[in-house]
Amino acid sequence: MTGPEARVTSQDRPDAPPDPESGSPLWKPAADTGSHTGRRGASGAETAPDAQGEVLVKVTDLVKHFPIRGGLLGISRLGAVRAVDGVSFDVRRGETLGLGGESGCGKTTLGKVILRLLPPTSGDVSIKDRPIFGLSGSKMKAVREDMQVVFQDPYASLNPRMTVGEIVGEGPLVHGLKNRVKREELVRELLGKVGLNQSHIHRYPHEFSGGQRQRIGIARALALNPDFIVCDEPVSALDVSIQSQVLNLLDDLQRELGLTYLFIAHNLAVVEHISDRVGVMYLGKIVELADVDTLYRDARHPYTVALLSAVPEPDPRRRRKRLVLRGDVPSPVNPPSGCRFHTRCWLREQLGNPENCVTDEPELRTISPGQQAACHWSEKITPEGVQSAAEHQPPVALAEAAAD
Amino acid sequence: MDRTEPVDRPIGTTTVAGGRDAEDEVDLIPIRTYWQLARQRFIQHRLAVIALFTLLVLVSIAIVVPTFTGLEYRLTDLTERNAGPTLTAPLGHDELGVNLFVRLAKATQTSLIIGGAAVMIIVGIGTFVGSIAGYAGGWVDNLLMRLVDIVLSLPVLFIILMIVSFFGGGDVRVIIIAIGITGWTLAARLIRAEFLALRGADFVQAAKALGAGHRRIITRHILPSAMAPLVVAAALGVADSVVTEAALSFLGFGISATEASLGTMLNKFSIYFYSAPERILYPSLVLVLIVLSASFLGDGIRDALDPRQRIASK
Repeated sequence: MTGPEARVTSQDRPDAPPDPESGSPLWKPAADTGSHTGRRGASGAETAPDAQGEVLVKVTDLVKHFPIRGGLLGISRLGAVRAVDGVSFDVRRGETLGLGGESGCGKTTLGKVILRLLPPTSGDVSIKDRPIFGLSGSKMKAVREDMQVVFQDPYASLNPRMTVGEIVGEGPLVHGLKNRVKREELVRELLGKVGLNQSHIHRYPHEFSGGQRQRIGIARALALNPDFIVCDEPVSALDVSIQSQVLNLLDDLQRELGLTYLFIAHNLAVVEHISDRVGVMYLGKIVELADVDTLYRDARHPYTVALLSAVPEPDPRRRRKRLVLRGDVPSPVNPPSGCRFHTRCWLREQLGNPENCVTDEPELRTISPGQQAACHWSEKITPEGVQSAAEHQPPVALAEAAAD
Repeated sequence: MDRTEPVDRPIGTTTVAGGRDAEDEVDLIPIRTYWQLARQRFIQHRLAVIALFTLLVLVSIAIVVPTFTGLEYRLTDLTERNAGPTLTAPLGHDELGVNLFVRLAKATQTSLIIGGAAVMIIVGIGTFVGSIAGYAGGWVDNLLMRLVDIVLSLPVLFIILMIVSFFGGGDVRVIIIAIGITGWTLAARLIRAEFLALRGADFVQAAKALGAGHRRIITRHILPSAMAPLVVAAALGVADSVVTEAALSFLGFGISATEASLGTMLNKFSIYFYSAPERILYPSLVLVLIVLSASFLGDGIRDALDPRQRIASK
């Protein structure tokens, strides 16, 4: 791997003003090469960046509350669903940041707010050092060339009344590629890139299978030649056999085009497969953020430990005790005080219910290089402790586990 | 179900190979354009085809007969009073010797013109208000929907009567406008609900993420998908307007008595309810046919425009 040199040549030089053409779409003349593959080819070879990798997207203290309104005119505010409640992280160029967590933990909302599909309550998101909240219409439109999205449900994410060509070509059209012939050429190239037959350009989404539709959705995201793609559970609606195909496609495209992904999924096996780093969310907060190997080998947040114990073991001879969490996720309207996980925490129980879990909110702190966790007692997690917690679960929890 | 290990990829498998797997029965279906498919789906809707045919017959009678007979629909001929059907007057004559077929054709024309014009106002205002309310949401939606509630709470017929008597009765344009500005609330509600649902749809979000502007999102993404309620609103609007016009004329506030409309005919012939019921039957039948055809045609068009509707194989 050519490593650092490659990055310096192909990416923005430090201190230099951001090159206006570095993120330009294919049909606009690019600074280095006009080809989709050539432009970031060198940097794309590097899939596992080190901790010093260039930050592409920076999320700072992002908050998204959905107000619950009521009253006669629907104006008075009764409370708020704290879907995302103070999340900060960086996404480095060329990496895949996985984002996992139970349903309802706010991961999809987080993705939408980062893309500015939902207005934020507070906080900041910047891409290529450019804060995107507060940008006016035309400037925001330019930023949209840098960040794209692949949705979960390929049946809902494609306009049923547009042909594949219109769907994939819409981005280029909106961003100024008015020439129909050139647009069609581009769409055909993109269809080939995502493994679809180019002759399908005039067909409608309903004529395709789920996996093929997801490929169309990916082609649409690629059409603007973005640097950053938010993949919002891109495979969870697909058939198991198709899931791996689409994951591999995403993997290949990342290598080929030097893409950066924020990969949102509730399936930790999928997250492990595709991610370089993984963030785990619980009730609108990131509780642990670590390199994928570290996280799966040595999780430092009791919630992560419990989640990981729920990942099915492919080897039937290796029996492993599941650590089943009792109760439901508390309401995001009124989250628990202190550590949000304290109501279901097995570690807290093991340590004899320490006071600070209820009173102090733990910050995301660095446990080891490349690993951050938001737990006061991260160091107390030991394999033996996990083992005994799994074994000493009260019978109710075991019954629940059996019922699963 | 989806909690599964991804299958490890064999070494050397490329994207293109993955694509080959993905390509299957799609290739076997011949390519047809959107409108070809829509026509096919429409033809499958038998009632809609019958409705279309009925409407075409009514419309052509309403165009052709009055064009060739001119003012004959108000020509009285006392030698022909209450005369029975003949070749030139298949429905006979009334007590003043007016050719009933010619008059019915003219009446159908008037009613269709009023129905068609009023429905344009209804759909126009309804789409405008409904799409703004549904797309903007929030307080804009709240404000507009309360306006709809207010209009809806007014006694429609009374308002129309007031407008008509204030701006001059008997004028077709006044009647059209009166029906139009009181009848758009249902259309607005239907379209607002559809916009509200589609605003959050993934494909609309995706268009937003691509950087598409509001106008493009509304006209290219939401409106085409909101065609179903729009067509239903239009069909109901035509039916409603024709009936309202008939009611107005029946009450004597519609078209002036010398002009022909289905309502004035019903009004005039109501005294023959026992002696010559066929004179009431003819305009009533036309009225029923217009209302039913409009609504079946609406159903057919709505289904035809939905690309997800399956086309039955022959």
